[in-house]
Amino acid sequence: MKYAKGLGLSLAVSLLASTALAEIKVGFIGSLSSDTGLSTLRGAEMAIQELNAAGGVLGQQIALVTADTGEDVTEGVKAYEYLAETEEVDFIISGSIDDVSLGWLPRMQEYQIPTLDTWTSYIGIIDMVIEDPETMAPYFMNIASDEALATLYISFGADVLKAKMGWESVVILAEDTAFGGAITGLVTDALGPVAGIEVKDIITYDINTVDFGPIFSKAKATGADFIYQVSSVNPQVISSQYVKLQVPMPMTGVNVAALGMEYWEDTGGAGGGISTLSPVPSVGFDLDPVSAQFVADYQAKYSTRPSMPHFNGFNAYHGLKQAMAAASEAGGFQDVKAWNAAMLKQDLKLEKDGKLWLRYGFWQHGEVEPVTGRTYPQNGLFDLSPPYEDAQPSMVVIQWKEDGTVGVVYPFEYANTELELPSWIKN
Amino acid sequence: MGLRWFHFAAWGLFALGLALLPELVSKGTLRTLIFANYLAIFAISWDLLSGRTGYISFGHPFLIGIGAYTSAILTKRFGVEVEIAIPIAVIVTMIAGLIVLLPALRIRGSYFALVTLAFMELMYQLVQVIRPDLTGGTRGMSGIQTLTRGAVNGFYLSSVLMFVIAVAAWLLLRTRIGTALTALGLNESAVEGSGLSTTKLKMFAFMASAFVAGLGGAFYVHYLGSIAPRALFDINFVFTIIVAVLIGGASTIVGPIIGAFFLTFLLEYLRPFLPGAERYFIYGGIALLLYMYQPKGIYAMVMKAWHSLHERATK
Amino acid sequence: MLQILIQGMLLSGLYALIAVGFTLIFSVGRTLNLAYGAYLMLGGYLYFWASQSLGVPKSLAVLMAMAFGVVLGILKFRLIVKPLKGDHIAVEISTLILAVVLQAGVILIFGDSSKILLPIVGGVIYVAGAPVTYNMLIATLASWTILLSLYLFIRRTDIGRAMQAVSMDTKGAAICGIEPDRVNLITWALSGGLGALGGVFFASYTQLAPSMWVGPLIISVAVVIVGGIGSIIGTLIVAHIVGFMEVIVVSVLAPELRGVFTMGLIILVLVLRPQGLFGREEL
Repeated sequence: MKYAKGLGLSLAVSLLASTALAEIKVGFIGSLSSDTGLSTLRGAEMAIQELNAAGGVLGQQIALVTADTGEDVTEGVKAYEYLAETEEVDFIISGSIDDVSLGWLPRMQEYQIPTLDTWTSYIGIIDMVIEDPETMAPYFMNIASDEALATLYISFGADVLKAKMGWESVVILAEDTAFGGAITGLVTDALGPVAGIEVKDIITYDINTVDFGPIFSKAKATGADFIYQVSSVNPQVISSQYVKLQVPMPMTGVNVAALGMEYWEDTGGAGGGISTLSPVPSVGFDLDPVSAQFVADYQAKYSTRPSMPHFNGFNAYHGLKQAMAAASEAGGFQDVKAWNAAMLKQDLKLEKDGKLWLRYGFWQHGEVEPVTGRTYPQNGLFDLSPPYEDAQPSMVVIQWKEDGTVGVVYPFEYANTELELPSWIKN
Repeated sequence: MGLRWFHFAAWGLFALGLALLPELVSKGTLRTLIFANYLAIFAISWDLLSGRTGYISFGHPFLIGIGAYTSAILTKRFGVEVEIAIPIAVIVTMIAGLIVLLPALRIRGSYFALVTLAFMELMYQLVQVIRPDLTGGTRGMSGIQTLTRGAVNGFYLSSVLMFVIAVAAWLLLRTRIGTALTALGLNESAVEGSGLSTTKLKMFAFMASAFVAGLGGAFYVHYLGSIAPRALFDINFVFTIIVAVLIGGASTIVGPIIGAFFLTFLLEYLRPFLPGAERYFIYGGIALLLYMYQPKGIYAMVMKAWHSLHERATK
Repeated sequence: MLQILIQGMLLSGLYALIAVGFTLIFSVGRTLNLAYGAYLMLGGYLYFWASQSLGVPKSLAVLMAMAFGVVLGILKFRLIVKPLKGDHIAVEISTLILAVVLQAGVILIFGDSSKILLPIVGGVIYVAGAPVTYNMLIATLASWTILLSLYLFIRRTDIGRAMQAVSMDTKGAAICGIEPDRVNLITWALSGGLGALGGVFFASYTQLAPSMWVGPLIISVAVVIVGGIGSIIGTLIVAHIVGFMEVIVVSVLAPELRGVFTMGLIILVLVLRPQGLFGREEL
């Protein structure tokens, strides 16, 4: 009985607490057990801590609630509904992976809650913004879309793979339909005419393949100079077998797992020699003073993995502050149109040694990117041509060396090391 | 059929309760109820096939997924009206059910469970590889037309659907067919000996189950507005459906509904206390314990309590 | 050609090693242990923790993983299989639930980012254009050795013969003074140990991930279905059918259809010859 009374009292107190203090409620949606999800969550936590310390936004303190997706699509929908209708949040920050984001997007269109995606880079979502700007108005993605990543990869092919390494032909290993036919097609079509690299073959493989030996043998048999691996979520097996099998052929591509500091520990050091595209900032990426300070604060605050936030942690940190600044201007999050307009104007330029290093802004509606000739409304700004004076490149190529160090190899403006062949490959 | 007044009263009360709920609970709870309703439909579909006959399906998402994907592809890629797409999806699902039926005519027990699992895995693979331009490949599709907007409408639609399916299935199992299906589960050769065609019976159970699965799947996808292979053809989804039936009480139709509501709410109400992966661990653990120690399910527990009360009252 | 032969042999060896523990339970207990994949997963994770985080010597870590598997097998038999009193469907369903619970447990402890096991034995040689890691070679040899010793164990020892008897006719065996419970316990323990060992090799070839239990489970299911209620030798043969089919599909046909062919084979065999290629005529 005493217990019940206590419970009732505490319930009443918590009810009072939540009604007495007007506050802005931010919801986090993503996995609470993955490095990806935690990067976004912690980036958001730090931004909120700083904003609250500075007096909050619109005179209100910011509170954060989380909804775990467990990287499950249906759980993602439930999580979004929970944030929208049980927690009634004002703004949602997402560290969701591709299919999870696609899963809850219809809910976002329905609820019209301002939402910022920090990890998903699927160009299909930006296409939705173009087709239906009205219902997609609350949605922003502050990472360069995968299509822009792929486009810059073509330049990497021309400038490094062809010009420096002297490779003239490639075999593409693609995981199912990872980046969709469009992206694989883009790389395939552009590598030849733009970079002068001939695509010998495209081998599509099943994501659950146990033994990649036969696939590597097949790739070898094409006689191509190097392998380009296109995969999205689960690429550890192919790259680790590449190392274990000591495939006598250079390989580069996308390895999402290699984007965090834990990669070395998780692979027991067997990840040396792997290079991958990465959105910025990545491991091995030189940081400007503001980003460096963020990492220092992050490491002072959190002792568990990821020991350094992935790129989406930076996106969440700056993106959340921008979303709040936009809300200040628009008088809150309720008027989505006003918030959208204010958010589109957000522009944070970070410099390093007098050069524009990172820029957190958004593409406007109707603004055409000169290299690809298309628009990217509400997508994070990027620059596809050197010397990258408008914004940072859409991606960098990083390489884990066999001694456990990691650095950027491309674009040259951002490079701090050079692409090396794994030691087992004889020239 | 042995229908009694209290049967009507119970179903009537249930309907009334569903109709009044939006007045009583928050919108967030309604959203959870919608998921519970759909899970209940899938659980009833599973129960129709596996609850009585002993043919345990480990691949039920195969049927649900075919219904969902067919309707999603028809409306999204070919601009077919939803009113037409859903019936087509149901028919396609029933045809798919027939295909699974063929091997099932010859095997039972664990082998049947495995072949259904294999069908589900096959579908998972095929959806990603064959015509990704239609299925959306690994990432699936978003922006599929939804039938309703808002929690209340979605709740009413799913409740009506679930209620109609539940009553129909419940009535069906009270006919002689239901009895024959139970007999099929107990002793297949005895049923054969009594002159009934086991093939026809099995086919009936399959078709009924596929009908409900296809219908539920199609409505489900037009509620979600999105679809992904990982969300459907997944062993975790199988787990949820089967556990809902068993925890509620197999072969009772009412049981699976109870189980579906229990599981959905258990998972949702753990969220504020255990935000992360602990939630699934506790949830699975409770499911395991309940199943181990109450294999007949919550329905049986309630009925037992009811009967003992009844006895005491009449004494 | 030679390349396909080599790669097929290696993959099949791994598959046989993965499937044997599953076959064992299916033959003796007549029940599908759907948490079998979880033995592999937990074995792999324990090995990772011991050898890569604590720095225990690899051979000792392998033994630790196996011992852990044995304990898991015993616990599972005591806590789940025995209380359910031989209700096969109940065992199957509770092991499925258990697998899902264990998956959540692994996420809790290790997080859900995938981890790479270093090869148990490092190094690689190229034979006829096919890369052959010593690790895979060891797995194949271990697989052959284990299957043969298991075969001898079942044929030659009293416990083995008792297992055989229970596998054929549980009641009959009980009448002859064999305690089915004891035999079952030994079988579950053995299966756990073998599963954990298979898991260490499987993980050292692919990766550790909380959802990794599904893949090997499906391979085991394929082997059991295609082979029928398992003779050990049947397992070995069918593992080669599945393994070779996969390598041929990947090398000659379309690599993306790897899984489709395996599932197709399962369904085809079940439709045409439900008792499996080597199974007994009883279902």
